[in-house]
Amino acid sequence: MSTTDPRDAVVAEPAVPEVVAGAGAHAGAPMARASLWRDAWRRYLQNKGAVIAGAIFLLIVLFCLIWPIISPHDANKVDLTQARQGPSLEHPLGTDAFGRDMLTRVALAGRISLAIGLGATVAILVFGVIYGSTAGFFGGRLDNIQMRLLDALYGLPYLPFAIILLAIIGTINMWTMILALSIASWFTAARIVRGQIITLKQNDYVRAAQALGARWYRILSRHLLPNTLGVLIIAMFLELPGVILGEAFLGFIGLGISPPDASLGSMAEEGRSEYRANPHIMFVPGLAIAILVLCANFIADGMRDALDPRTRETKEG
Amino acid sequence: MALLEVKGLKTHFFTREGVVRAVDGVTFSVDAGQAIGIVGESGSGKSVTALSIMGLIPRPPARIVDGSVEFQGRDLTTLSDRQLEDVRGREIAMIFQDPMTSLNPTLKIKTQITEVLDRHFGYSKDEAGRRAVELLEEVRIPNASERLEDYPHRFSGGMRQRVMIAIALACNPKLLIADEPTTALDVTVQAEILDLLEELRRDHEMGLILITHDMGVVAEVADEVAVMYAGQIVEHAPTLELFDHPEHPYTEALLGALPQLEGEDVREGRLLSIPGRPPDLIAPPPGCRFAPRCPYAHLGDGCADNEPELRRIRQNHLVRSRHPASERQREAAPV
Repeated sequence: MSTTDPRDAVVAEPAVPEVVAGAGAHAGAPMARASLWRDAWRRYLQNKGAVIAGAIFLLIVLFCLIWPIISPHDANKVDLTQARQGPSLEHPLGTDAFGRDMLTRVALAGRISLAIGLGATVAILVFGVIYGSTAGFFGGRLDNIQMRLLDALYGLPYLPFAIILLAIIGTINMWTMILALSIASWFTAARIVRGQIITLKQNDYVRAAQALGARWYRILSRHLLPNTLGVLIIAMFLELPGVILGEAFLGFIGLGISPPDASLGSMAEEGRSEYRANPHIMFVPGLAIAILVLCANFIADGMRDALDPRTRETKEG
Repeated sequence: MALLEVKGLKTHFFTREGVVRAVDGVTFSVDAGQAIGIVGESGSGKSVTALSIMGLIPRPPARIVDGSVEFQGRDLTTLSDRQLEDVRGREIAMIFQDPMTSLNPTLKIKTQITEVLDRHFGYSKDEAGRRAVELLEEVRIPNASERLEDYPHRFSGGMRQRVMIAIALACNPKLLIADEPTTALDVTVQAEILDLLEELRRDHEMGLILITHDMGVVAEVADEVAVMYAGQIVEHAPTLELFDHPEHPYTEALLGALPQLEGEDVREGRLLSIPGRPPDLIAPPPGCRFAPRCPYAHLGDGCADNEPELRRIRQNHLVRSRHPASERQREAAPV
């Protein structure tokens, strides 16, 4: 449904000349041509912070994906003669205690951190949608039981819960990290989805669909879930910083990806013991974490303005 | 045999405050090609009657406690949910009050029309697409094949109601229930939609139940009118008969409350209304439900104690009152 309609793009665009839009029909003109997503995109672009954050985020992602391939240095090659160097032309961010190039290594660690962050976020949404939509859709006693269980789980502190889960799973790699982090934090997503489904269930078009003989799974998959998409996207970018931070924290206390692979958190941990003498070894991955989290927050903010009709009204008032 | 026969239908809502008798013994029938108007004020049980026929009442709290809904000889109240789903949309279709919210904003019109065809007939995409164009043309939407690709927000209220009608007609239902189909529309658009409904009904030989609180709408479309008050039918007659000779004091009052363009009241700038408010359906008045508001309740005869029966006062004219207009006149002018 998010695919852009080519006919729309070709025919509708010139049908509303810019002059008309500029002539003061601020409320009317965009409605006539814009699909939901184009409308949302336009609104997103109005939020400068979100646009800049989005651009930086994209650049970081691209850098993490591409740099390890084209970099002149092998991220895992130990060369003790080059150890603990400051920034130079050869090594723009210096080298770590084993003489590995920090720039390449940070890109590689960023890959893993982002993969864990995105993977866990997607898993959170999947858990949340399944759990929340069954509770919201079927309601009644099932809803009650599910929600009380969720209340109980809500009481568990996020990171200790993730640590215990990792201990139960036993092995630590990217996939188990994703699993542990998502199991420890899908509750909010489930609540959001449940609330949305309950609200949407009241809509006339749901009743109309029932009056046309639609079965329950059709109503859920066709009429309810697609309408929660906007809120889900916002939720995704709201969860992302938490997950990235959580992963970094686990890495920092030594529960992260094991060497020679690294995540941003475990890299920072490596630099912790000598941060007085060589602060850059800890500072570089730390800064990367901070930038990622900040960008994700700004993007979430922009997404909310763009996709959530309630905040939209007050902003554009 | 009638297409639809509703007999003694009672739909009650079991709430914490008590049992709300929203529909309390409603009986009427619809023949193929016939249009019945159900009129009444808000909360009189019109919509619940319609939803009960469709099996769409919210359960819990509501339940059909008594009566039957026979559609082509089958009692719909005894069908399972699955069997009912096959009837809905296929044999009986329904359109709702607010076209602005009755279409899913995230789906193209085409998807919403073809969905029904796929559901009930298993049409292929091409077949369904062709049929969708036909349907939109039938409800007079210009550029039908192009408009199919649009999302609902590009349609005006009247156009959306046309789309809703097209969806309802998709499977050639034998009965269409229209729940206040024009209430949310402009007056001019209202007339167009009513004309359209009227024409489609004639072309398709479709039974129509029109639910409304607008006497004007009923006069235009319906062959027969049932007036509902507090969950019961209080008067049932052919449309002209009802407008010319209303018998029940409530019907008289309703017709009297219609805004007039000329006459004494207009000059004095008055709109007539019915004093009091509709009764509490948890504990309805023990006698006639209209008695507390009825100008003739003082005539006695146990108005306040015994519920009057729905009785035949003339051929085709049923009324639930001890003091219908014709009898009052006879008493006022004794021979």
